[in-house]
Amino acid sequence: MIAVATGLDVPLELRARIGDLYRAYECVLDDGELESWPAFFIETCTYKVIPRGNQERDLPVAVIYCESRDMLIDRVVALRETALYAPRILRRMTDVPYLRAIDDDGLHLTANFALFQTMQDQPTEMFLSGRYQDRVVDDRGALRFAERLCIYDSTIIPTSLVYPV
Amino acid sequence: MMDSTMTANRGNHLGLLSAARTWPDSGHWRVPNWIYTDPEIFARESERVFGANDWLYVCLDAEIPNPGDFKRSQLGTRDVVAVRDGSGTINVLLNRCAHRGMQFCAASHGSVKEFVCPYHQWTYDCAGNLLGVPFQRGYRGQGGMPEDFRKEEHGLRRLAVAQRHGVVFASFGTPNQGFEAYLGERMLGYFDRVFDGRELVVLGYMRQRIPSNWKLMFENIKDPYHASLLHVFLVTFGLFRLDQQSSVEMDDTGRHAVLVSRKGAQETNDATAQMRAFKANFGLRDRRLLDPVREFPGDATVVMQTLWPNLIVQQQSNTLAMRQIVPLEARRFDLAWTFFGYADDSPEMRQRRLRQANLMGPAGLVSLDDSEAMLLSQAGLDGNDDETCLVEMGGRAVANESHMVTETAIRGFYRHYRAVMGL
Repeated sequence: MIAVATGLDVPLELRARIGDLYRAYECVLDDGELESWPAFFIETCTYKVIPRGNQERDLPVAVIYCESRDMLIDRVVALRETALYAPRILRRMTDVPYLRAIDDDGLHLTANFALFQTMQDQPTEMFLSGRYQDRVVDDRGALRFAERLCIYDSTIIPTSLVYPV
Repeated sequence: MMDSTMTANRGNHLGLLSAARTWPDSGHWRVPNWIYTDPEIFARESERVFGANDWLYVCLDAEIPNPGDFKRSQLGTRDVVAVRDGSGTINVLLNRCAHRGMQFCAASHGSVKEFVCPYHQWTYDCAGNLLGVPFQRGYRGQGGMPEDFRKEEHGLRRLAVAQRHGVVFASFGTPNQGFEAYLGERMLGYFDRVFDGRELVVLGYMRQRIPSNWKLMFENIKDPYHASLLHVFLVTFGLFRLDQQSSVEMDDTGRHAVLVSRKGAQETNDATAQMRAFKANFGLRDRRLLDPVREFPGDATVVMQTLWPNLIVQQQSNTLAMRQIVPLEARRFDLAWTFFGYADDSPEMRQRRLRQANLMGPAGLVSLDDSEAMLLSQAGLDGNDDETCLVEMGGRAVANESHMVTETAIRGFYRHYRAVMGL
C-alpha cells in the first residue's frame, strides 16, 4: 500500500497497484533478475542515479544516466557480458511510497530507499540511502516508471555501484 | 594489528623504516608488496609525496568564479579551502584554525565574506589573514592575549598556488619549478590540449571510496596493457584496443605520463582473437550511449594523463573529468571525479558528455572494472609483504613507446617514487 497527500482522492485499487509496482521492482532486483528490470519503465523513460549534491545544485552528471528503456537494457547486457565485479548481494528496503500529486504527466511519488550490500565473506554493510523521486504512468494498462531519479545522500559510493538502485 | 601500528608509530618518530623495507635488488621493474600495505610507508608518502614541493591538483577555477566563493579539497591527507579573495586571487588555505587547530570550514563549497572558526570565533579574511580575536585585550582588564601577540603572525597557513588555463594547483612546500616546468614540455602539450584556455563548466561530481592503496589507481591509468584485456566494453566497441595506434609517453622524470589511443579501422583480427574480452555480437540498442564526436586537434580519441602526485586528467571520447586521488590510509583512498565541459559546448555536446559519463565513475560500464580490480588487487597484496609484483611487460626500460603492450609508465612512476621515498 501507499500513502497519499492530503486532498488527493485516490481509489484503493490504484493505491494497491502502485504498492505492487514498488514491491515488485524491489523483489526483481533483490532476486538478481536484471533482465526483468527494464520492463518496469516506459520506452521513453528517464532513469538516473545521482548524488544529492549534484541534484541540489542542478549539476546534471549522474552515476547512471539513462534516457530510454533501451539504455537500461544496454546496461543490463553490459553488466552481464562485459563488466568485471566481485560477487555481492544488494538488498533494497523501500519505505511506503508517498503519492504527492497527480497531473497530466502522471503520478508523482517519492519513497526513501536503503541498500544493504553483502560482499563475499564480509559482514553486511549499509551501502546507500536516499530517495526515489518518481513519475509513474499507466502504460497500456500497466503502471510503469516514466521517470525514476534515485537521489542518494552521501557524496561517496563505497567502491562500486554494480546493480541498479 | 595493534603491534604493527605501534611499530609504525615508533618508526615515524625516528624517521626510520623497518630493516625489511628494502627495495628488491633487481630494480623498479619489481615492486615489493609492502608499499601497498605498510602504514610507515604511507606516513612517509604523506610527507614526501603529498607534503613536499610538488604541485597538487586542488580544483577548477570555474568552481569558484566570484570573490568569496570557496571549495574544499583534500590534498594528500590534509583538508584545504580554495577561496577567491576580493582581488580575484585564488588562495589555498589549510583548513585548520591557527588557534587550536579546528577545521573551521565544514561546508564543501559556498560563498563567504570571511571565515569564522566556530570554536572561539577567530576570524580570517579570504587571503587567510587573521582579522579578529574575541577578547584579545581581555575583559575589564582581565585575561586576553599577551601584549606581544601579533595577529599578522597567526594567519591561516597559505599554500603556494599555481594556475594554468582554469586549473588550480597548490603545494605545501616551496616548489623549485613553476607548474609549466614541473610538467615538462611534452606533458604540458597534452595538458593544454584539453585546457586550451576556453572557459570550463562543471557538470557534476562523483566520488567513490576504494579499499586499496592509492598507487594502484595511478598504475591502472599508466597501464595500457590491461585496457585491452580487462575492459571488455571498451574492446567490444573499439574505444580502446591493442591493435589501435597508440602511445605511452612520459616526462623526463617518469612521474607524469599519458596513454594515447588513436582510433583505427575496426576489425576482428589476431589481436581481438587474443582478447577473450572481445564480444563480436554485442550491439547497443540505444546507440546514443556511444556517439563520439571528434573535438580535439589530431587523431587521438583517448588521452589519459597521470600527473604526479594526485591527478588523472581523463579525456575518453567526449567525457572530460578530473580524477583526484585522495589517499586516506595505506589500504584506502577516495577517487573524486569532477566532470566538466566547455562554456561554448552546444546542448548536443553537453548531452553527449552526460551520456558518455555512463562509462565512468563508480557505476561506469568501464570504470567499474577498475574499482573492482583494485579491490581484488589489494586483497591479493594484503598479508603478502614478502612477495613482489612484476612490471616487465615491454622490457625493463623506462622509455616512451608507440604500442600498448608495455608497463613502461609504471616503471617510470616507480623509478621516480623510489627516488622521492628514498627506497
